Amino acid sequence: MKIVSRILALFLLVQLAAAQDVNDGIQLLNRPADRTYDIILDSGYLKVGVYRDFPPYSYEVDGEPRGIDVALGQRIAEEMGVRFMVHWITPDEELGDDLRNNVWKGHYLDKQRLADVMLRVPYDKQYAYMQDSTGEYINEQVVLFGPYQQETWQIAYDPGQLESVETVAVFQYNPVGVEIDTLPDFYLTSSLNGRMREQVRQFPSVGDAFDAMRRGEVSAVMGMRAQIDHELAKPENGSFRGASNGFPGLLKQVWDVGMAIKHTHRQLGYALEAIVDRMVTSGELNELFAGHELRYSVPGYYRAFLDDEAIARAEGGE
Amino acid sequence: MTTNKFGIRIAASALALAVSYGAHAVTDEEILNDHKTPEDIVSYGMGTQGQRYSTLADLNTSNVQHLQPAWAFSFGSEKMRGQESQPLIKDGVMYVTASYSRIYAVDARTGEEIWQYDARLPDGIMPCCDVVNRGAAIYGDKVFFGTLDAKLVALNKDTGKPVWIKKVADYQAGYAITAAPMVVKGKVITGVSGGEFGIVGKVEAYDAHTGDLVWTRPTVEGHMGYVWKGGKKIENGISGGEAGKTWPAEMWKNGGAATWLGGTYDADTDSLFFGTGNPAPWNSHLRPGDNLFSSSRLAIDPDDGSIKWHFQTTPNDGWDYDGVNELISFDYEEGGKTVKAAATADRNGFFYVLNRENGDFIRGFPFVDKITWAKGLDTETGRPIFAEDGRPGNPADMEGGKGEVVVAQPAFLGGKNWMPMAFSQDTGLFYVPSNEWSMDIWNEPVSYKKGAAFLGAGFTIKPANDDYIGVLRAMDPKTGKEVWRYENPAPLWGGVMTTAGNLVFTGTPEGHLKAFNAMTGEELYRFNTGSGVVGTPVTWTMDGEQYVSVSSGWGGAVPLWGGEVAKVVKDFNQGGMVWTFKLPKDRVAAAN
Repeated sequence: MKIVSRILALFLLVQLAAAQDVNDGIQLLNRPADRTYDIILDSGYLKVGVYRDFPPYSYEVDGEPRGIDVALGQRIAEEMGVRFMVHWITPDEELGDDLRNNVWKGHYLDKQRLADVMLRVPYDKQYAYMQDSTGEYINEQVVLFGPYQQETWQIAYDPGQLESVETVAVFQYNPVGVEIDTLPDFYLTSSLNGRMREQVRQFPSVGDAFDAMRRGEVSAVMGMRAQIDHELAKPENGSFRGASNGFPGLLKQVWDVGMAIKHTHRQLGYALEAIVDRMVTSGELNELFAGHELRYSVPGYYRAFLDDEAIARAEGGE
Repeated sequence: MTTNKFGIRIAASALALAVSYGAHAVTDEEILNDHKTPEDIVSYGMGTQGQRYSTLADLNTSNVQHLQPAWAFSFGSEKMRGQESQPLIKDGVMYVTASYSRIYAVDARTGEEIWQYDARLPDGIMPCCDVVNRGAAIYGDKVFFGTLDAKLVALNKDTGKPVWIKKVADYQAGYAITAAPMVVKGKVITGVSGGEFGIVGKVEAYDAHTGDLVWTRPTVEGHMGYVWKGGKKIENGISGGEAGKTWPAEMWKNGGAATWLGGTYDADTDSLFFGTGNPAPWNSHLRPGDNLFSSSRLAIDPDDGSIKWHFQTTPNDGWDYDGVNELISFDYEEGGKTVKAAATADRNGFFYVLNRENGDFIRGFPFVDKITWAKGLDTETGRPIFAEDGRPGNPADMEGGKGEVVVAQPAFLGGKNWMPMAFSQDTGLFYVPSNEWSMDIWNEPVSYKKGAAFLGAGFTIKPANDDYIGVLRAMDPKTGKEVWRYENPAPLWGGVMTTAGNLVFTGTPEGHLKAFNAMTGEELYRFNTGSGVVGTPVTWTMDGEQYVSVSSGWGGAVPLWGGEVAKVVKDFNQGGMVWTFKLPKDRVAAAN
């Protein structure tokens, strides 16, 4: 039965390769459909929320969704026996806004549009159970679950301009590119009493910062490891290198990334969790990342209970 | 006799209708004299100086209790949220904007709709600052308004059909327009809103007839201004002379300073006065320096966009004290001389009186009960004397837990926010809609953005008193004295108007349009409009009767924030109406 549905799903995937955004909201009441697990299976599709224009995680090429999060979403839909539908997310100022706009309430300009599940949601107990000034749980409307990757920071540099990046102190003297309004931006402008501040160059995206490095305007770029790996894999960036420096004083060096659903849709969450858990522990997710020329790290969540051998397996070792 | 009179009245109203539907072009002169011509309202501010003072006295303290509703008009649809618009009136037609970038032409006598225009907003738009619109401009045969996707729209005022639509800025980069544009010397002048990092504020002028860009003036130091002549883009000087004087590294490239509340115009000095928003990034420790021209007032030449002078209210802002609040031109006598002054009540809690010819500081004083971030103003320069420990902490000093909490008053929503104050030429007082609240700010130990660890600031806004937040104040600009105050349970968020009838009008989030005695502050009138009033009232005369209009519809920035203020406002219902009142003719006589 499962095989049949998988074949059917594959067939459907071919039929509807574009996997475009669907509008299934309730027009009369101007609210999103309440898509529980059973309704998703009946409808034959899963709407997966991913950030727009965010390589290598999720982006569009010739109208087709691409990226590691898109690939994961497609694999999950396939396992559920339904079609993958992309739900593009325009990022707001912080995660709580994205969860409200895309997972539990809908944006006030677009109230009928919600994702069934959102990917690339940091999995962090402290964040999940954060309370506001009156003691209410800020994120009580969502369930954060299913960590599938550990993300970290990384610097790439141009060996033509910099011999090496032993420590970030070199950025007291050499220009470094960051995406504006990100932690690398704040870190490099405020750490070491602001001594690196004069060398920080801000760009709309990591990709733009690499463009500037090719023009010789910056000697290095700091971003998330997958972003940096993705750029380094491009032929035009072939001469650039990944650095192995540390980030002293940086508050959050690594964090887990998982998924989010509406809190009333827990049954869907259990199904998704089972799929992703298998993909993490079997090493399938590692293969998926490798296929995108990205390094993969098992979430810290798993490190607490998997033995070294199991972790090695999940990360593609023997 | 009665039939005769009746007949004449029909003829008169038919004529008025014919006039209203005909192409009666609005001229520069009419706009410049708007404050003297109570039969129409053809500018935001009831006069380009923004005094919001009407010379009408038919309606006054002795008869205001007889003010009665004439009609109410619904903006329709399910689109509600904040209605912050100020209506315009011309030839018996009201032009009023509504939330979600909508505009309506309504028969000012009957409330019947003439036309409606809904801007088609793009999918996936994320406006930074709620979905309000604060009003339109009118000139020639067109009305103009800005949209949430940062476009300037010119419509035929009689048909509502678009004549031209210009993109002022890229909404995808975080820009929007919510303020009313203004028309000066045939040019439509607008600023931009923008909450995201990476934006740079600017003021732009467009040819009213063609929509062609005439000049652009960035409001952050280091950016080049341009004028267009004969289709050619010509450099017109870098704002502030050069980059990097008051900003570290290249932060001026993304400095913020959004001009989100529009401006005023003073014909005496031929200056546009625009305020600018807070600098980016939010945390002031990342950008040591004054960060010009953030949190400032700018005097701009309407012909080419050159900056004549600037006055910065909050240098190196770290509290989100936008400097956008309106600068109102007014004259006063002192020592036998007329002082050409201008006044503004800033988000930061200080009221400033400036020389509007050169931007010199004349005097400044608090208009709120308590200010914690500054100990006062330098008496010579008006520069704030920062309080020790009044600035939110440096994220670099933070280790693990929740950063140190700093209490700041006023809160980030300001001692006074966007809602315009009014100046009475009779009493010489400013009527300031203000709020008494404080905020806690700290660096958030755990925060994420776009799938990545982030360093956010946490803040919560708190009422300063148990029983009220809003305070309507009558302030004497010469002495800094508060002459009277009216305390309101909910925060005040609507504009103010004053009249020669010794009246001050404003609305409350509780839903009332209220009128006060301008000299004593005694409340003389209230009418419940059914939803919170956050619009700005206007008054005009038509067919020998005095009218008052105000938009009703609770929303704006206050309900977007939780915390303890939410407890006061959470039960207010949304709405979307414009209410029009009049004093019947016989009541004027009866009262006199």
